[in-house]
Amino acid sequence: MFSKKKIIIFIILAFFVLILDFWIFNTLKTDFIKTVEEMYETNAQSIADGAPRNPEDVQNWINNLQLQEGNSVLYIVGSPFSVKDLYSISENERLTEYFNKNKESPEFLDAMESSAYGEKYILSDSVKIDNNKKMIIFVPVTDPEWWETVGTLLISFDQKPINDFTDLLNVFAIAIFSLFVIVYFFGKFTRDPVTNYLIIIIFVIIGIFIAFPLYQAVKLTFLENGSFSLDLWVKILTKGQYLEALWGSVKLGLITATCSTLIGYLFAFSVTRMRLKGKKFFSIMATLPIISPPFSLTLSIILLFGNNGLITKQLLNISDSISIYGLGGLVVVQTMGMFPIAFLTLSGVLESIDSTLEDAALNLRASKWQTFRTVTLPLSIPGIASSWLLVFTTSLADFANPLMLAGKYKVLSVEAYMEVTGLNRLNYGAALSLLLLVPTATAFLLQRYWVNKKSYVTITGKPSARLTELTNKPTKAFLITAMVLVTVFLISLYGTIIAGCFVKNWGIDYSFTLENWPEALSRGKDAIFDTLTLAAIATPIAGILSMLVAFIVVRKKFIGKRLLEIGVMIPFAVPGTMIGISYILAFNTPPILLVGTASIIIINYIVRELPVGVEGGIAVLKQMDPAIEEAAQDLGAGPGRIFRTILLPLIRPAFISSLSYTFVRSMTAVSAVIFLISANWYHMTVLIYNFSENLRFGLASVLSTTLIIIVLAVFGLMRLLLPKNDLLTKTITK
Amino acid sequence: MAVNSLPVTLKNITKIFIDPHSKSRVVAVDDISIRINAGELVTLLGPSGCGKTTTLRMVAGFELPTKGKIFVGDNEITMLLPNQRDTAMVFQSYGLFPHMTVAQNVGYGLKIRKIPKNQINKKVNEILDLVGLSDLGDRPPARLSGGQQQRVALARALIVEPSVLLLDEPLSNLDALLREQMRIEIRRIQKSLGITAIYVTHDRIEAMSLSDRIIVMNKGKIAQVGSPSEIYINPASEFVAGFIGKATFFPVKIDSVELGVARVFLDDKEIRIKRGAKETEGSETGRILTRPESLKLVEKGTGQITGTVKYNVYLGNTVESYIQTKFGELMAQIDNPAINKIYDEGKQVDIEIKPEISKLFASE
Ligand SMILES: Nc1ncnc2c1ncn2[C@@H]1O[C@H](COP(=O)(O)OP(=O)(O)OP(=O)(O)O)[C@@H](O)[C@H]1O
Ligand SMILES: [Mg+2]
Repeated sequence: MFSKKKIIIFIILAFFVLILDFWIFNTLKTDFIKTVEEMYETNAQSIADGAPRNPEDVQNWINNLQLQEGNSVLYIVGSPFSVKDLYSISENERLTEYFNKNKESPEFLDAMESSAYGEKYILSDSVKIDNNKKMIIFVPVTDPEWWETVGTLLISFDQKPINDFTDLLNVFAIAIFSLFVIVYFFGKFTRDPVTNYLIIIIFVIIGIFIAFPLYQAVKLTFLENGSFSLDLWVKILTKGQYLEALWGSVKLGLITATCSTLIGYLFAFSVTRMRLKGKKFFSIMATLPIISPPFSLTLSIILLFGNNGLITKQLLNISDSISIYGLGGLVVVQTMGMFPIAFLTLSGVLESIDSTLEDAALNLRASKWQTFRTVTLPLSIPGIASSWLLVFTTSLADFANPLMLAGKYKVLSVEAYMEVTGLNRLNYGAALSLLLLVPTATAFLLQRYWVNKKSYVTITGKPSARLTELTNKPTKAFLITAMVLVTVFLISLYGTIIAGCFVKNWGIDYSFTLENWPEALSRGKDAIFDTLTLAAIATPIAGILSMLVAFIVVRKKFIGKRLLEIGVMIPFAVPGTMIGISYILAFNTPPILLVGTASIIIINYIVRELPVGVEGGIAVLKQMDPAIEEAAQDLGAGPGRIFRTILLPLIRPAFISSLSYTFVRSMTAVSAVIFLISANWYHMTVLIYNFSENLRFGLASVLSTTLIIIVLAVFGLMRLLLPKNDLLTKTITK
Repeated sequence: MAVNSLPVTLKNITKIFIDPHSKSRVVAVDDISIRINAGELVTLLGPSGCGKTTTLRMVAGFELPTKGKIFVGDNEITMLLPNQRDTAMVFQSYGLFPHMTVAQNVGYGLKIRKIPKNQINKKVNEILDLVGLSDLGDRPPARLSGGQQQRVALARALIVEPSVLLLDEPLSNLDALLREQMRIEIRRIQKSLGITAIYVTHDRIEAMSLSDRIIVMNKGKIAQVGSPSEIYINPASEFVAGFIGKATFFPVKIDSVELGVARVFLDDKEIRIKRGAKETEGSETGRILTRPESLKLVEKGTGQITGTVKYNVYLGNTVESYIQTKFGELMAQIDNPAINKIYDEGKQVDIEIKPEISKLFASE
């Protein structure tokens, strides 16, 4: 593998490519700089042509001079021959300062001499003025009649465009060379180049799109005027306002997590542990909120209970004394939106508790209640802890609901957003979202590495068909009533949105109208198109990438595997606000200028939804016999073919859920996306928010409904387009 | 089907694994060299963990040797990827593609080789005939019996006409009866195609009944290479002797070795033994390897060892007689029980060692 000849060839080739690379980019750079300089020279000449010949007019001329930002002019009055008599006039004090300091320097004398002969002069090195690099040109101002130089203009041009461009070229040059080295090296010196390329690509993605932005955000919070400082953190940690927001987030999280887990347990227990008609219906109702867009529940809560709400104002007229804005409203909305998380976690756990255990307890003469208390409940405690922590994390990271419903109540995610968009203080935003990361990451890690390890439940994959009824009649009646109440409330919330689509002016004029539809759709059609396009591009990429990552993690051995796993998982624990802020920080300057483009939104979707897909893929792959892929490879299949013909069909369920998940999350994203949208690329959810902020509830309802319809339709479509493999279903269900 | 069979050569192959948890080194295969002739079926036999699977997987390309080279014919294949070499493997767990029918499974390798569809169909039918699965082409593998799945795996490997066929304990998932049938089946197919094959097993009966030659491995090293009978009758070491069949050892004093015959004493009884005599020249003590069939029960006072019959196990054509002696409990096999004498339980007997089917080892 590492024969001498190959290594020598490699080194020689690399050397050649390096020279070629250097030459090409250097030529490009010099060409570009030359062009810009010529442009600046022409520009300078035209300024000089317009300059007054009479010293008395100079001040006035300079005051009225229209220059591009970053450029400035200094007029050196007098014939450049008599250097001693010169004095200068400029708007820019720094430039004057600079001139006075250097006017005796040899290069300046040269320049003045050139000017005396009527020639321009460009300083060979750029100089630093105002912390910015400038290019300095001397231009003579000549008296056209006498061909005599009456003054000299010292014009400083901003070097930033040049620097930006050369930076970009440098990055490209390095990237191309490294690309060559990597591709050639792994292609020639390793046995499985495809996998190695893939691993490198994933590492590059993690580096550029996860580690780099987060690093930038963290860095920013420790900088003050370009140097290290703890000022910002001192301010944030001592100001009541921010600590209040931290406590607000945590308090909301505690209450929501508790309520959601209670309701989730209620549903999960009823559906998995009771004989009951309509289980399917209740399951669907308890999962529906997961796919509904973020503002929809808030919207209908406002429509029903807001200041002008149907119930609070029109029916009861108590809206002056009771306000839905604040902690109470938030708890209601978040609980309705997040109890499905608890439901899904808990029903999985409860389902896999073997009824035999309960039977055994009953057999030992425990009462039903004792059985529940001593067997069923303790067995489900890890599940309860897990779902509580999951909801807690989600509630803390939630941005959409508090944005619309928090009122005067402060939570961190919204505070961070306000700092960034309202006050334009990116560093405060970054610091606040970092502050938010502390409780979310703690809860996430607890859930992941502590609770999950404590689980007693082994998933046998054989939920027992028998059920032992643990509830007596009154309890059962109570549970069912509670479930029906929650369901009815949910249905009425969704019903309100639909009703909202057809009402003229909610809160004032409840007459039926169809006008909302054409208006909302015509005003929202660009946003709808953008949202769909972005999600449609991100979905397949995220789906395939997540399966590839899962494959590499499960099947390949390589250095840094743990690091790769952690890197991919990070965005799962990081609140969207934080990601949004770090993305605008990292990608609004060259070399990677992405702010305002579609790619930043797409990349953000992919990076954020990757973890869930990867986890699903890993779970499936771990159960798959490696001999299946080995057999394919043994028969001559290359990596691409194995992936296509063996892996993808076999991990289809995980693949589809990854696709669906990414799609829904991309369609309903708010927290990170709200920072990343631009005039070119807008998002429906943000438009829904804008409409509701402007009290155009009809339009907001129409868009919410449209969004729900699109999501459901694409779900159906996805199932149709990715047909089931009959053989496989038979195998799995055998 | 005609197979272009080629010899396989392993030269000084070593494989060292780094244990991912403890970071310690595991020498799975330790400097082995083997040559397998074209058309030959060789088994790798040895206790669990001795490096059989690792050796096979290096030939297939799933593992890279830490040191050494592998050749198929004259071509070195050490670094080639599995999909670049002309070997085909039958996996212990079969590795059938669950989302394809039997016919699709078997045809997979041909499809990759871009063989036209009608030709694939023809060949698949041929090979399914060969392994006796002609009617099951449309079934998913999950709805086949273990033996049928095993044959699909075999057919899938054979159809690509590999130069070398590799089998990793292909019968370990089957019940005893089926195992016996499949053994015969595999041998028949291998012989009729004349394909070079390496067969991994830890079952000595399987190894003996299948192989042209057996390679006995122990702790990553080759303990002995030879035909089944060579290995059984003339094992190179006590380990091989014990692994390949039931063995009982008796300690002896070596008196003299002359003209290839050793005069040894078991207690004070003299035995003259040929096999292994040369190698023991110069040693004072040794051990005699005996098999159940080299222990003959005789009347008290006429044999070399005295003992008491504990119990007899009747197996029809033979009887296993378990005798308590001062060397411990041992088993003598009595053929043709209708003709030969069976001693009743509790009776005192003597045992005579038949030197022509025993072997002398020098003490270590
Ligand atoms: N991927 C691996 N990483 C680390 N050690 C390994 C790996 N594969 C095998 N080993 C070790 O190498 C040694 C030989 O393993 P191998 O699988 O070749 O044994 P075997 O002879 O096939 O045994 P068995 O009869 O149980 O299948 C064992 O000690 C095993 O633990
Ligand atoms: Mg093995």
